[in-house]
Amino acid sequence: MLLLYVLLAEWLFFYVAGTTTNRRGVIVGFGTLDRQFDILRHSCEIGLLALALTPVIITAGIDLSIGSLLGLCAILFGKLWHDGGLPIPAAAGLTLVLGAVAGGLNATLITALRLPPLIVTLGTYSLFRGLAEAITHGSITYTDFPESFLFVGQERLLGLPTQAWIFFAVALAVGLLVHRTTFGRAFRTIGLAPEGARYAGLPVGRRLALVYVLAGLIAAIAAIIYTARLGQAKADAGTGYELFAITAVVLGGTSIFGGTGSIPGTLLGVAAIAVLKNGLACLPVVMAMNAAEEMSGLLTGALLLLALTASVLPKILSNFRASRHAPAT
Amino acid sequence: MKKILLHLCTAGAVLLASLVTASAADSKLVVAMLPKSKGNAYFISCKAGADKAAKELGIQLLFDGPTDSNAAKQNEIVENWITLGVDVIAVAAENKEGISTALRKARKSGIKVITFDADAMTDARSFFVNQATPEGIGHGLMDEAARLTNSEGEFAMIVASLTAANQREWQKHIEARLKEKYPKMKLVAVRPCDDLKDKAQSEATALLSANPKLKLIMAICSPGVPGAAEAVKQAGMTGKVKVMGLGLPNENKRYVHAGVTDSVILWNTGDLGYLAIYAGVAVAKDELKKGAKTFKAGSLGTFNIVGDNILLGKPFIFNKGNIDQFDF
Amino acid sequence: MKRYFRELSVLGALAAVLFGMAIFAPAFFSPQPLLSLLTREAPTLIVACGMACVIITRQIDISVGSMFSVCSVCAGLLAARGWPLLLVLPASILLGAGLGAINGLLIAGLRLPSIVVTLATMVTLRQGLNLVRQGEFVNLPDSLQWFGLSQRSGQLVLVGASLAFLVALALAMRHLAAGRFVYAVGTDAEAARLAGIRPQLVTFLVFVFIGALTGLAAMMNLAQSPQVQPLSGAGLELKVIAAVVVGGVAISGGRGNLWGAFAGLLLLACVSPALTHLHIEAYWEKAIQGAIILLAVVADGLRSRKAKR
Repeated sequence: MLLLYVLLAEWLFFYVAGTTTNRRGVIVGFGTLDRQFDILRHSCEIGLLALALTPVIITAGIDLSIGSLLGLCAILFGKLWHDGGLPIPAAAGLTLVLGAVAGGLNATLITALRLPPLIVTLGTYSLFRGLAEAITHGSITYTDFPESFLFVGQERLLGLPTQAWIFFAVALAVGLLVHRTTFGRAFRTIGLAPEGARYAGLPVGRRLALVYVLAGLIAAIAAIIYTARLGQAKADAGTGYELFAITAVVLGGTSIFGGTGSIPGTLLGVAAIAVLKNGLACLPVVMAMNAAEEMSGLLTGALLLLALTASVLPKILSNFRASRHAPAT
Repeated sequence: MKKILLHLCTAGAVLLASLVTASAADSKLVVAMLPKSKGNAYFISCKAGADKAAKELGIQLLFDGPTDSNAAKQNEIVENWITLGVDVIAVAAENKEGISTALRKARKSGIKVITFDADAMTDARSFFVNQATPEGIGHGLMDEAARLTNSEGEFAMIVASLTAANQREWQKHIEARLKEKYPKMKLVAVRPCDDLKDKAQSEATALLSANPKLKLIMAICSPGVPGAAEAVKQAGMTGKVKVMGLGLPNENKRYVHAGVTDSVILWNTGDLGYLAIYAGVAVAKDELKKGAKTFKAGSLGTFNIVGDNILLGKPFIFNKGNIDQFDF
Repeated sequence: MKRYFRELSVLGALAAVLFGMAIFAPAFFSPQPLLSLLTREAPTLIVACGMACVIITRQIDISVGSMFSVCSVCAGLLAARGWPLLLVLPASILLGAGLGAINGLLIAGLRLPSIVVTLATMVTLRQGLNLVRQGEFVNLPDSLQWFGLSQRSGQLVLVGASLAFLVALALAMRHLAAGRFVYAVGTDAEAARLAGIRPQLVTFLVFVFIGALTGLAAMMNLAQSPQVQPLSGAGLELKVIAAVVVGGVAISGGRGNLWGAFAGLLLLACVSPALTHLHIEAYWEKAIQGAIILLAVVADGLRSRKAKR
């Protein structure tokens, strides 16, 4: 809940401080509707990855490979369409399947061999990016996508950026899965106590596999949106996105130790980072320093530390009080 | 809790409103400059020239770019500038196709767009401040390499990354020139250094031991040249294996003087930034229009225009004799 | 023998690679180039030692790359101002230890998860450095290179020192009480506490330790080149974590040793020069490294499954 206030305060601050009128007397900067749409447009891919990660982290897992998988899926999509001669919808559909298969590789290693997700996905982080580079020799860039496809990434549908509808649909689906089905409860139980879940008769392996396959699928969706937004597919797509996504999820209150977490929280986390990043770029002070990129990184890191500290502070204070009032032994 | 928050917000708002009105009062022309990556010495020296031009012209210069090679970030920054309503955007494009979508959007909203250093699609900008064509760079590098090795023997290349668009472009022209003019030379390896000097040094060390017949290392990214030079120096191959490439004079002076690096090729990056700003402002003021044959940029004098390319002039070859005259 | 099966299998893989190189690219083993390659990896080995300790306590530190950059640039600036080596070296180590202490305080003091804390400090330090330095190279005084020795003795000193450190630390981890504490905390923190160890203190000290080692490694890197780039050290975290894990240190804590980490580091460090020597195109490199990591963990998984049966 604290995050909602932070977000509101952040937004208000930038609304006031980041809006100006320019030489021609037009209102420009953070307070314009266009800017708000841009924020939404720019957060879709990282937002999708954060949605993919939330169930993973609720089960006390992690997936470092989704940024690389975004790159691999973008390349596969481009190759299927350009070299394979498939129509866009078929290429997109096949890319989703391949994304799920790649997620399945993570899932198999993690569940069948009971390997730690951190290490498995560290391996696939290199592997997926490496495959993307090997397929394209690093150099091939797929471009010249048809207008109808670019519509998904660059135009508006019913007033909102087109890809935002896809993002919302995925958010709704994952939200329902996590909060309104027995699957979601299983995720939390597994995150809290995997052994307990096993004894309680939960199919732990299958539930975990679902989470990682889902992450692969969503990364593929993000790859297609990314390609549509930039109008090109290249092996470096999504580099470093996993870190932003993890930051958003943790900021949104999902415990990295597993067991608790929520999709609305993750959405707030994504919004808090996106608003911060875009808002800073509109602040006259930051513009004068030419430091928007650095400042947003710096403050995102600081925000993450603050949010973490705030989340444990009450517990620590109560522990401290308890120890002070405890009778001496 | 809520009350405190509300108070804080209002206090902040009032404070900032005063700041905002202050900044809105000065109505200078705003030129926004987008480098490929921000922390790169190459673009920092471009910025020095741009700053000088901005001061002379009395405009406000915004300079922002990705801190790493993230393809999507350039687009996001341009879109931000569109809503900020800047007057001119000058871009060094990392990805031709990708950036052009954002630049077309900027032009549609009335912002003047020019490119410098690396061009976008031609319909996405009005002029390109051209320091050298990829072909010119590729041929220049290959010809210089051939000169240093008497047009024969093995050589290796160090590039920034396997995915950087400009690097691929240059490499293509280098290889074309090699095939066409220098049949006795052979490119034995191309290794990426991720724009890290340390990695370039490790890669060059491995290249030297793997290819005993190596005559020359060509590095086409600026951290690569000093990295390769240090490796050659440490391997005791100074003079036997030549080092050359695209780089900044300041980063290479010590190796050029020590005889490790033979030549560094580059244009005057400060002038490039300076010219880009002058051109951008002239376009915004309607002083520079399509069809112009020449363009006068402040203290640098007159430049030729071919088509819609404003030509900076030929790349410069820095060597022992002249490198000390340059400070960038 | 059986106890060290995991470490021996990595060593076997390394031996196989080296054997292959001996047949297909014997030039790989010419002494001077090999010494140079080893010298390039010496700083990484020092950080990998620290990372092994951190992972054995069931924590992780992904901020080492950023700490490495900050230490490099600060030490470089001090040296450029004319500070003597005898002051710059401890200053760099202290700075690293201080940065590590920040991580340690947040992780051990507030009991925050290490992966997120170090993610945050990684981003903060990296962007802070970008903000202040804008990517500018730092030119170092000539006296700093090879610590004022000749190149050959400098390289021997760096390689020798890092190996000596590895041996000393490996023995300490096995035979000193402090080393056993690290394993105890990683195996079961609660049991360790009941045994009279203070797990939070051990965790804190381990993070200070890796910070200090990163500061030392930064200096060892500075000695190898006359200028330093602020980006230096980017990606170091993944390199050392991968090396340590390939070497058989369990991410779940309490298991593994430094010898394994050493073998893992050598194996991964071989990939890039081996590709160069075998004239294989560079774009396969990342995929191969990923495959090695996965193979190592799959081997782990298969073995622990067998053990359970």
